[in-house]
Amino acid sequence: MSHSTVPRNRTEADPPDGPPAASGDATGPPRTARTGRVPLRVRLRRDRVLLLMTLPALLLVLLFNYVPILGNIVAFQDYDPYISDNGVVSILHSPWVGVENFQRIVADSAFWNAVSNTLLLFFLQLVLFFPIPILLALLINSVVRPRVRALSQAVLYLPHFFSWVLVIAVFQQLFGGAGILSQLLRLHGYDGLDIMTDPDTFKLLVTAQSVWKDAGWGIIVFLAALASVSPDLYEAAAMDGAGRWRRMWHVTLPALRPVIALLLVLRVGDALTVGFEQILLQRDAVGPGASEVLDTFVWWNGVRNQDFGYAAAAGLVKGVVSLGLVLAANKVAHLMGEQGVYRK
Amino acid sequence: MTPNAASRSGGSTGPSRRSFLASTAVATAAVAGGLPLLSACGGSDSGSGGGSSAGKGAKKLLPSYAANSVVTPDLPAKNGSAAGFTAELDIAGLKTSVPEKLGKGGKVTVMSPFWGSPPKNDNAYYRAMNELTGVDVVWQNQDGNTYDQKLGAVLASSDVPDVVVVPGWNMGGKIPSAITGKFADLGPYLSGDEVRKYPNLAAIPTDAWRRCIFGGRLRGLPMPSSYVTNIVPLYRKDIFDKEGYQVPRSADEFLALAKDITNARAKRWACQDMKWTAFNTFGVLSGSEKPLGWNLVDGKLVYRVETDAYLEALEWTRKLFAAGVVHPDAMLGKSSATDPGPKFAAGEFLVYNQDISQWWSRTAEQAAQNPQYRIWGMDIWGHDGGDPTIWATQPANIFAFVSKKAPESVVRDVLAVADVTAAPYGTKEYMLTNYGVEGTHYTVKDGVPTKTKQGNIDVLNAFVMVASPAPTIAHPDFPDVTRAMVEWQQRMGAFTEKSAFYGQQITEPTRYTNLSNDFEQLEDDIVRGRKKVSDMQRAVSDWRSKGGDQLRDWYRKLLDDNGTATS
Repeated sequence: MSHSTVPRNRTEADPPDGPPAASGDATGPPRTARTGRVPLRVRLRRDRVLLLMTLPALLLVLLFNYVPILGNIVAFQDYDPYISDNGVVSILHSPWVGVENFQRIVADSAFWNAVSNTLLLFFLQLVLFFPIPILLALLINSVVRPRVRALSQAVLYLPHFFSWVLVIAVFQQLFGGAGILSQLLRLHGYDGLDIMTDPDTFKLLVTAQSVWKDAGWGIIVFLAALASVSPDLYEAAAMDGAGRWRRMWHVTLPALRPVIALLLVLRVGDALTVGFEQILLQRDAVGPGASEVLDTFVWWNGVRNQDFGYAAAAGLVKGVVSLGLVLAANKVAHLMGEQGVYRK
Repeated sequence: MTPNAASRSGGSTGPSRRSFLASTAVATAAVAGGLPLLSACGGSDSGSGGGSSAGKGAKKLLPSYAANSVVTPDLPAKNGSAAGFTAELDIAGLKTSVPEKLGKGGKVTVMSPFWGSPPKNDNAYYRAMNELTGVDVVWQNQDGNTYDQKLGAVLASSDVPDVVVVPGWNMGGKIPSAITGKFADLGPYLSGDEVRKYPNLAAIPTDAWRRCIFGGRLRGLPMPSSYVTNIVPLYRKDIFDKEGYQVPRSADEFLALAKDITNARAKRWACQDMKWTAFNTFGVLSGSEKPLGWNLVDGKLVYRVETDAYLEALEWTRKLFAAGVVHPDAMLGKSSATDPGPKFAAGEFLVYNQDISQWWSRTAEQAAQNPQYRIWGMDIWGHDGGDPTIWATQPANIFAFVSKKAPESVVRDVLAVADVTAAPYGTKEYMLTNYGVEGTHYTVKDGVPTKTKQGNIDVLNAFVMVASPAPTIAHPDFPDVTRAMVEWQQRMGAFTEKSAFYGQQITEPTRYTNLSNDFEQLEDDIVRGRKKVSDMQRAVSDWRSKGGDQLRDWYRKLLDDNGTATS
C-alpha cells in the first residue's frame, strides 16, 4: 500500500481524535504509537488553534531569518548595492564572479589567521569559561539564607548589563600601561605591565573579560535545573549515609547533565562566534594578527572595505561550518544518551 | 573660527576625532576605490573604470570665481595658508552678504557626520539659521567616528536624505559609485556664470571646486581647506619653558629630548604616537588620500609605500615606542577613542600631533581653569636637521551632495543655505553660522566674541558642513594663537610641494579598490613592535605583484592624458 493512500483511507475510518494505535492496526504490524501516524489533515484540524497562534512567530522567522539567507547569493557576485535603490535589482545587475570570492578566501592568509584565532579562542573559552557558571550555580545553590543568596546573585548578574565599551574601559584603567596596576608597580620600582596591549596574552585577556562579564549571567539556567531536583532525593541519599560530595556526585550532577549537554551542543554550534564587539573594540590594541576573528573579518571586509561579495562568502563559509559543528555535537550528545537540541 | 576649525573643533572631542579620522584617510582612502564601469569616468577623458577631475572638459564645469572679501585679513593668505583675522570684531559694523532670503521655505533633510554630542534638533541656533536662510533644514546628525559604517547602508537604501555630507576619507570601497549613482549634477546651477546667483559660493576658490567633480559632473559643495599639512606637532610650551627643554630640530634631537622628558614613575611620557609627524619630517608622500601618494621621481611614478623615506619614518616611530617614551595609551591605537586632551592638560605627555585647529581649541578649552597652560606648535623639522620637504594635502576634503531624487526647488533651497554658510568672515552670516545668536550663543566684550555654554552645545558642526568660505583662521579671542597658526602654515607652506595628482578628484578602478587596504594596519603594527619593517617590504612587493604595477600604469596614463590639475 502506498504511503499516500493510507491516510486518506484512515481519515474516513477513524474518528478525528481516534487513538493513535488504530493506525497501527490499519497498516498491519504495529510499529510505534507515534502521533506522527495520525493523518496530516486530522492533525491540522485538531491543532488549528495552536497553529494559528504560532503563525505570527513563524512569519517573523521566515521574514527575518530565512528570507535574508537568500541574500547570501551575493557571495557569488562582485556585489554593488549602489546600482539601484532596490536590493533585489542590485543583485540582478551585479556582475557574477562564480566562486572567485571563495578562491580568494582560500588564498587569503588573513582569513586563515582569523579562523585559527577563532578556534583558539573557542577552545580557551570552552575550557576556562564554560565550567565556571556551573561551579557558581552549585555554590549559590548551597547558600541557605535567602538574602545572602539574592544579594550574591544580583552581584554576579550585574556585570552582564554593562556594555563592552564600559567593561573594556574599566579593564584599561586597571590593567593598561598607565593603569592602576602599572603605576603601582612603577611606584615600587618595577617595570610597568601592559596587559591590554600584549598580543601574546590577548586571548586569555578576552576570556577573562568574558568570564567577568557573563559568567554570573550564565548560572541562571543551571540554577533553574537545580531547583527542579526534588529535595526527597537529597534526603534519601543523606539517609543512606551519603556525604556532601557523594550527594553532589550522585544527585546534583546527574540532574544537571541534560542541561549541560544541551548548552554544550549549543555552544559548539556557536563555536565560530566568539565575541564581536568585544574584539572589535580591542582590535587595534593588539593588531589583527592576534585579535582578528571570523566575525570581525567579515565586518572589516564587508562594512569597512565594502567588499560585500567577499565578506558574504566568508560569512557563508562560517555558517556552513557552524551547521556542521552543531550537527556533529548533537550526534555526540545522542551517543551519550542525551536529547541534544532535537530528537531523532 | 576658521571654516576648518568651525567643524573640526568646537568641542573638546570633536577636533581630535575629526582630524584623527582625516589623517586616517590613508586607511579609508586606501580602502577607497574605483567605480564600476558604468558610472566611472571622472573628468572628461579618462580611462575606463576610474577617472579624474583634471581633464580639459572639467574646466567648463567649474563655477567662475568672483572674489568678495568683506574684511581685509590681518594676515593675508600666503604659501597656501589660510587668511588670518586677529583684530577685534566690530559687531555693529558686520556686513550683509546675502541681502535677500534665497530660500523658498522648503524642507531639506541633511545627513552629516557629527563629532561630539549633537544638540536637540529644535534649538535656537538651527531656528535662527533656518530663519536667515529661509529653508527648513532638518538635521540627521550621525556619529562622525563611525560614519563610514552608516553611510554605506544609507546610500544603499531607497531612502537617501536630500543632502548627504561625505568626507573624502569616508569614500572607501564602493562609495564613489554611490556618489555618482545617487547624487545630483549641480552643474546646471553652478557651472560657469550660473554661480553668480550665489556670490558667496562664487568666492570659493576654484581649487576647492575642482575637487567636487565626481564622475564627470560637478556634484559636491566643498569645504575648502589650506593645502599645507593639517598635522601639527603640538607641545606644552609652558612646561618646555619651565624645564628648559628646547624644541627639537631633527629626528635625533627629538628622540634625545623624548628620553629626557620621560619619567614613567612620575606618570610622564614625552609624546603620543608621532607617526604622522614622522611622515612629514621624513618627507613621505602624503597619505591623506591615495592619489596624493603618487609622484614622479626621475620620470617614473612612485607610490609612497615604495619610498625609503616611508620605511625610515616607520623605523623612527618604532624607536620611539621601543624607547618607552610614548604614552601607554598610544599602544591602544585607534581603539583608544578617548580624547587625549585631559591627559595632555594633566601633563602626562608633552607632545602630540593633531589637526591645527586644536592649537586654538585646546587653548580656549583650558583658558579659564588652567591659566598657565600654553599649547604651541613645533615647526616640522627635517629628519636630518635640514629643511623638511612637506607634501601638500588636498584643498578640499569634505563635500555636501544633493540627492538625485530631490526636485529643483530643493536643490535651490540647498544652494540658498550654502550661500549663507559660505559667507566670509566679517559678515552677519558668518557670525551666525559660526557663533550662533548673540546673547544666546556668544557674548561680546571689547570686540571679542566668546561662546556661551549653550553656544558650545548648539553651534557645533552642522551648518558649516554644507559649504564654507575660503580657508580662514579667525579667533579674535586669542589673537596671538591665531597669528601663530597662520604663520606656522606660511612657514611650512614654504617647504610644501605638490605631488603629481594634487588637486584632482581621482577614482581608481574597482579592481584596485582593496589593494592598499592593509598598509595602515601594518604601519601601526610595525611602530608598536608587533611586526617588522621587513614585513612592510614584503607587503610592498606583494602590492606590486597583485596590481600595484598595473595601477602605476593606470596613473601614468591618467597623467599623460590629463596632465596635472595645476598645469
